[in-house]
Amino acid sequence: MSVAIRAEANGERTSLVPAGAFDLAHASAVVRAVEQAERDLIASGDVDLHLSALEGIDGSGAVLLAQLMDRLEARGLRTRLIEDHNPHAFRLITLYRERRVEARPQPARRMGPLAQLGAAATGVPGKVTGALDFLGHAAAAVPKAFVSPRSVDWSSLPRLMQAIGADALPVTSAANLLVGLIIGFLGVSQLGRFGAVVYVPELVVIAQFRELGPLVTAIVVAGRSGAGLASELATMQVSEEIDALRSMGFNPVSWLVVPRCLALVVTVPLLTWIGDVLALGGGLLATMASTDMTPRAYVLSTADHITGAHFLNGMIRTPFLGLIIGLIACRQGLAARGGAEAVGARTTSAVVMAIFGVIAISALFTLFFTMLGI
Amino acid sequence: MPPSRPHIVVEDLRIGWGARVLMEHVSFEVKRGTTLAILGGSGSGKSTLLRYLIGLEQPMAGRIDIDGVGEPHVYSGVPPFGVLFQSGALFSSLTLAENLALPLTTWTSVRGPLVQDFVQAKLDLVGLGAFAGHFPGEISGGMKKRAGIARAMMIEPDLLFFDEPSAGLDPISAVELDHLIVTLSRHLGITIVIVTHELPSIFLVADNCIVLDKEAKGIVARGDPRRLRDESAIPFVHNFFTRSSPSASAARER
Repeated sequence: MSVAIRAEANGERTSLVPAGAFDLAHASAVVRAVEQAERDLIASGDVDLHLSALEGIDGSGAVLLAQLMDRLEARGLRTRLIEDHNPHAFRLITLYRERRVEARPQPARRMGPLAQLGAAATGVPGKVTGALDFLGHAAAAVPKAFVSPRSVDWSSLPRLMQAIGADALPVTSAANLLVGLIIGFLGVSQLGRFGAVVYVPELVVIAQFRELGPLVTAIVVAGRSGAGLASELATMQVSEEIDALRSMGFNPVSWLVVPRCLALVVTVPLLTWIGDVLALGGGLLATMASTDMTPRAYVLSTADHITGAHFLNGMIRTPFLGLIIGLIACRQGLAARGGAEAVGARTTSAVVMAIFGVIAISALFTLFFTMLGI
Repeated sequence: MPPSRPHIVVEDLRIGWGARVLMEHVSFEVKRGTTLAILGGSGSGKSTLLRYLIGLEQPMAGRIDIDGVGEPHVYSGVPPFGVLFQSGALFSSLTLAENLALPLTTWTSVRGPLVQDFVQAKLDLVGLGAFAGHFPGEISGGMKKRAGIARAMMIEPDLLFFDEPSAGLDPISAVELDHLIVTLSRHLGITIVIVTHELPSIFLVADNCIVLDKEAKGIVARGDPRRLRDESAIPFVHNFFTRSSPSASAARER
């Protein structure tokens, strides 16, 4: 089906007769026909657009013909739309011309790299203030939980501990077992060069109990439960559930943040403890696989080197690691504004910040214990 | 396509989840260029029926035929209709212009400045010409719905489905939206199926309606809504159109 616009001069008046299918499927051909007609038109008086030869028209064709008439009028020509027994096309073109907005929108507000950098810099004080404000509310919520127990959703605590603790056990256990294996193989390969394989159990105990056990467990929990908590609270925020809580007189920090942080403070040490035991098993497997040390000798050596200092050095930090994960995840979740995109962005931020927070807190504890000589 | 052929034919439809039948023996037709309202109380299955009509769910039994082509299936190419969901369902990470351009650039060969022209024309049509660069989070609920209508129309379908377009809008925005729907129907000749329980909308936009009842698990009345309001002897239909409740009447009498 050919698309064209025929021009017929009649004295001072010129008739434009579009023919063919002026629809979305033939949009490119329609554009070419419109441009051709506009170029060829040398009229200086009135232009009539006759609709009799149109074999079909939809919104796209109507837009292009409406634009043609607008441009001709901008050239100083007077235009008329002649219905010619085609009321559908007449109504369509008229509708699009009537609804045309003279004031064009401002271009989309996309910022350049420098402007983005500036915007990010100016946003820092606000973010710091927001984080401190949240921290203050969270700190105030703890004594309030004792004074007014009904301000906290205690009924959610078992469910949260199940989700954050028990459900995470397989993945934290597997991660720690593998870390134990890695330390074991590394110890055998490096200490074996000096004939000091006998020190591998001690290496596994010290590395796992003091540093890697809490760190690996907390990183896995930050990735798993941190993301879950942040996305849960962000979804509640964007779907106005948090506003509903506020409107009913609940403080969302007390009601939602306290039980989640408490669940993490309780479960991260437990997960770490179980992970430590499994890491010792990993070290045993690695040593058995690559040396002739007997299992009994490995276990006895391990038992000799598990001291209260090593154990407590690692375990003391775990509640704080759980707390930082909970605070960051809840803060990010509650700060979500907008729609689905905000949920995703806040969840990503929560995981990244929680993992960084876990590493930073762990490093601070290590520095502190090193300075104390523990 | 002969004009006399119905645009939508639904025959003996049975729908539900698992073993639970929500509706059965549902049959109706929608004539080309007319507006059908699907009515019913909350929980009667209006929006669920719409999900089957647009191919998001597959019926347990029965037949849905759109445009003589057959049952709609998602992911089977250019959709033969546009849909306005209750919330507008605009993509929050895209501007209004980008939301509208998406179906056009996906399903047609239109590219470049022409895309912007068509997007702008549709935004102008729904009265949002000055908001092309705005994100959905920056506009009101009524504007989101109008933008949703514009997006649904981008590939020039001759059939539109609206799921409770007036829900949650103030009366003025709701009337404006209703007039927009009437304009689309009358000026563009688009067939419209609208799910609603807003009585002013029904009388303004609908040529015909079907009334669903969850107790009856199907259609209890059909026809011109004005005639049903004035003449129906079915208590549920009468109460629906006169906004009366038997329990409220009994309470008043006590």
